[in-house]
Amino acid sequence: MERALGAPKVAGSKGERARAVQSASRSRWGETETVMAARRLNRAAGTLAASVLVDSAVEHYRGSFKNKAMFTPLVVAGLTLAMSLHGTADMRPVAHRARDTSYLLAAATGLLGTGFHIYNVTKKVGGLSWQNVFYGAPLGAPMAILLSGLLGFCSERVRANGRQRPRRVFNLPAGETVATVTALGLLGTTGEAGLLHFRGAFHNPFMAVPVTLPPIGAGLLAGAVLNGGGRTRRLARRWMRLLTAMGFIGVGFHAYGVSRNMGGWRNWSQNILDGPPLPAPPSFAGLALAGLASLELMREARDA
Amino acid sequence: MSDDPRHAPRARHGRAPDVFRPGGWVSMKEYADHETVDFVIVGTGAGGATLACKLAEYGFSVVALDAGPYFRPLEDFASDESEQTKLYWTDDRIVDGDNPLQLGSNNSGKAVGGSTVHFAMVSLRFRPEWFKARTKLGYGADWPIDWREMWAYYTEVEQALKISGPVNYPWGPPRPRYPYRAHPLNAAARALARGCEALGIGWTETPLATLSAPRGLAHPCVYRGFCVTGCSTNAKQSALVTWIPRALSAGAEIRDLAMVGRIETDANGLAAGVHYHRQSKWHFQKARNVVVAGYAIETPRLLLNSANDKFPDGLANSSGLVGKNLMAQANQAVWGEMDEEVRSYKGPPSLAITEHWNYEDEGKDFFGGYAYMSQGPLPQLWANTQATAHGLWGARLVEEMKRYNHVVGLKIVGEMLPQEHNRVTLADELDQYGLRIPRVTYSWCDNDKRLIDHSIAFMSRALGAIGTKNIWVQEDDTCHLNGTARMGDRPDSSVVNADCRSWDIPNLWICDGSVFPTVGGANPSLTIQAIACRTADRIRTLSRLGEIRLN
Repeated sequence: MERALGAPKVAGSKGERARAVQSASRSRWGETETVMAARRLNRAAGTLAASVLVDSAVEHYRGSFKNKAMFTPLVVAGLTLAMSLHGTADMRPVAHRARDTSYLLAAATGLLGTGFHIYNVTKKVGGLSWQNVFYGAPLGAPMAILLSGLLGFCSERVRANGRQRPRRVFNLPAGETVATVTALGLLGTTGEAGLLHFRGAFHNPFMAVPVTLPPIGAGLLAGAVLNGGGRTRRLARRWMRLLTAMGFIGVGFHAYGVSRNMGGWRNWSQNILDGPPLPAPPSFAGLALAGLASLELMREARDA
Repeated sequence: MSDDPRHAPRARHGRAPDVFRPGGWVSMKEYADHETVDFVIVGTGAGGATLACKLAEYGFSVVALDAGPYFRPLEDFASDESEQTKLYWTDDRIVDGDNPLQLGSNNSGKAVGGSTVHFAMVSLRFRPEWFKARTKLGYGADWPIDWREMWAYYTEVEQALKISGPVNYPWGPPRPRYPYRAHPLNAAARALARGCEALGIGWTETPLATLSAPRGLAHPCVYRGFCVTGCSTNAKQSALVTWIPRALSAGAEIRDLAMVGRIETDANGLAAGVHYHRQSKWHFQKARNVVVAGYAIETPRLLLNSANDKFPDGLANSSGLVGKNLMAQANQAVWGEMDEEVRSYKGPPSLAITEHWNYEDEGKDFFGGYAYMSQGPLPQLWANTQATAHGLWGARLVEEMKRYNHVVGLKIVGEMLPQEHNRVTLADELDQYGLRIPRVTYSWCDNDKRLIDHSIAFMSRALGAIGTKNIWVQEDDTCHLNGTARMGDRPDSSVVNADCRSWDIPNLWICDGSVFPTVGGANPSLTIQAIACRTADRIRTLSRLGEIRLN
């Protein structure tokens, strides 16, 4: 992911990272680690933003952009993605005002979008019914851009710590805070996947995977926050890597789901809209990357 | 050779069409006419196909014949209402009585899969009390089957067809969750919902036999709206794409374009097999058991046409009830226009339903009940309706058709009471096979009329309550046919027992909508299939007990 985003050398393999740390002067190594942690969060926020950008583009195109406000998540997610790329590439140990502003904008968009979606669902006949939560505007979807904004904002706060230890965001311990946000995000995203997979009647057994693995991941993150042992963190780290992989493999499953509609991929222009959403599963990957970043922050805070 | 399935049979030479793959075939077991099979089944609709599948899966040898063609939905079905009339049974018949039935689209099918190939997919359970309508509700006749037993068989059929239904069904005793979720509502369905909410009654998404998620090689519904003209995507879970492929893989033989003209009985008065017409010749298939599943007109017609010296009034007719107690269902509608576009043709035609008046008995001046559903008439049907039921022609008809996209309508499926003088008899005229054609006599009784009046008044209020303009009433329409070989507890008051076994000839069975003693206010297909599943289980049980002729 890092390489794909064109990040500078430092963000590369473990070896490169080690060399970068070695080359930093003794007095600055703490700053470099801080920046690395922040960049990991930029990367997580960017992954989420990318998922939101493509997903809202497809879904709102499907809805014919009937309301002009439906362009908002495209603009905001696009901006958030650009800022996250910028942050991932940025080695400076100071928060960036433009990034900060755009992350706050993303969070606000998420809240506002949720309001719009609730309005859309409840104004339909039947109100808050299964029919309307299945087929009306998805209630949980705008939360993804809210999470992207929150994680990005956390990233800037982590970055602003400089050499200060332990690192804090909003005057709370950084790793624990990000882990908590991530765990809640995982649970919410599971709810969204669960709702839509229930709509699809779990007709394929693999549809149970994204409602089973992420809550366990959320539990492991919570465990890491609460008991903080190295073993729990290591298990949580492996689980976050599993969830990252799941998020990208999910695109493949959704592509298969698209093929099972009338006309298959030959009829892509219709079936991409009617089949399972291709850009949705990577939102799990985005959260799992944030989870990894939070575990690293906790490790540094506790094992230092 | 012609590939038109209406001219040359397709299920031959050890193979049958694979309905899921264009041009594909599946292997099919074949029996010679002189081989005596365990069961020969006449008809492959909701009753016959279901029974053929279940019996074959239970290990019996089965041949199922159908007078109609073996269609390949992916290739043979056009998005064209006129072309698709090929799915209906439009052979010569005579209709009379005070309210002659209009036969064809709403009540027949001539194809492998029967009328399920073009049914509206509405898959409702009966209200439990209807199975004891005489005892509990004071009208009609009791069924010899307990509703709790039916509840289990309904579940079996709902699973087999992957019915898409609401998460919670608002009426009746609890039922298991429908296997697939309900489809999204179209604007016509939302209009029904708004009307119900305005009048303070319940509504829900209609349980439908069309897929809301993939299933094997069948795709989910694409909401093109050509449902009652034959689904060309296989989303519709007709007998043709569900029970029949299962029956074939379990070893049953399907014989298309095979019109059964007569059931032969032997010296002991038992059924010996059936005479059928296929490829310009009459054949005779020997069988240990004969099942008639030709629906409420062809079933009694075949039994009556099979009269012989031993059974001069027709087979299974010692009660004199074969052909009697024919029950259609009331199908009146109220139509109007909305200011906004409705485009009711999008998606399955009946996405929303209220069964309020099936389950509520207070405030009725009639026996029985009715459901009403949202509607989505295709343009040609709509023009016909405007020309006939609404009496528009010329410039007025053209003007009306311009407002087609704004039309909204509600239509009932209403219970009609069994009456002996509503019946199927034989006319003297002969059809293309040289068989006497049926005469179908039908008159509404006062109770039927009161039910219709109640429904029209209520639906008019419902449409009025949501701001519908130019409301008008379609007063004369019926759908579905049942009765004519009712089941019961006694040989003198019924044709078959609860197992669909005829009282008179123990190896002659009837398994379709003919056996219904009452029809209720619900589309019958799910109940027909549930009865067929039950019959198959009973046959298996009876055969283990040695009470069925199998040698």
